[in-house]
Amino acid sequence: MARSMCWHCQSAVTGEYFCERCVKVQPVSKEADYFTCLGFPRRLTLDPKKLEAKFYEMSRTFHPDFYQTKSPAEQAISLGNAAVLNTAYRTLRDPNQRAEYLLGLEAGSVKDIRTSPPADLFEEILELQDTLEEYRSSERDSQDSRELRVTLEAEQRALEQRKQEMEAQLQQLFTEWDQLQDRGEATSQTRVERDRLLKQMRDLLSNRTYITSIVNDLAATIA
Amino acid sequence: MAYSDKVVDHFNNPRNMGSFKKDEDGVGTGMVGAPECGDVMKLQIKVQNDTIVDAKFKTFGCGSAIASSSLATEWLKGKTIEEAQQIKNTDIVQELNLPPVKIHCSVLAEDAIKAALADYQKKSDGDASGTK
Repeated sequence: MARSMCWHCQSAVTGEYFCERCVKVQPVSKEADYFTCLGFPRRLTLDPKKLEAKFYEMSRTFHPDFYQTKSPAEQAISLGNAAVLNTAYRTLRDPNQRAEYLLGLEAGSVKDIRTSPPADLFEEILELQDTLEEYRSSERDSQDSRELRVTLEAEQRALEQRKQEMEAQLQQLFTEWDQLQDRGEATSQTRVERDRLLKQMRDLLSNRTYITSIVNDLAATIA
Repeated sequence: MAYSDKVVDHFNNPRNMGSFKKDEDGVGTGMVGAPECGDVMKLQIKVQNDTIVDAKFKTFGCGSAIASSSLATEWLKGKTIEEAQQIKNTDIVQELNLPPVKIHCSVLAEDAIKAALADYQKKSDGDASGTK
């Protein structure tokens, strides 16, 4: 959290969260991303225990309760920092949210790595939704209803299975991404590799959302 | 945040829900999805003499996404291809009073219109250069 100047005494800030000269709390830099904010490298595999420990440590540093006797300016900074910290922790704690966030950082915005919509998957989902609708409007305990239910249950199991495979693939991509970052080379080959990984992660995360959505619909209907 | 009356109306009485056969003459199909929320939208147009004579949709998602596509099909009917290209998501936002968090639903509807028009044009270009 490097800042040039203390908002209070105008001296160069050398401390991490506080000015070393006047001991005033410093605002988290607006430009800092959540990884920087929590002091972690931009990697997709993070140790959740370390992340949690760091979050608690920083929470103790910035929590507004500890600033009740301070000046309004310091109270405002502690409140702002605590809010950023909470959002940062919530985002990085979940592996998929973390990946979505990192994709956003790496590609400017997620839309920049727009991929062609998965037409096959959409077809499949629409068809399944039709069957779901048929089941919903079928007479309870009728032959039709029972048969549809069996079909839907099988679909649900197959989709759950696919979701798990996608999770595994994502995990693999996360590892590849981190390894690429750790090597830190900037050749044209690594750039190609980087773009490939970003695109594949983008695709998988999107498709995973579509599948999660239909699985939830299935579960809610045939529960 | 509560849905606006118009959204609720479209949600309860969706207009033009259903589908055409994809390979039917003059039918353009657009299928789009929102990777953020998992909503999937299918919007189809039926074109005769450069005019959209019918439109249908199927949307699986939140109320705003359903209302956006329902409204879109209403607006599409009777428009020429060129007029249909002009429909903007902001028009939908305004008409349905969508809150900021639901603007992406209107974007999805605009994308679906664009995709359906592109599909129709691709199909009719193919026919023109083909055997016909």
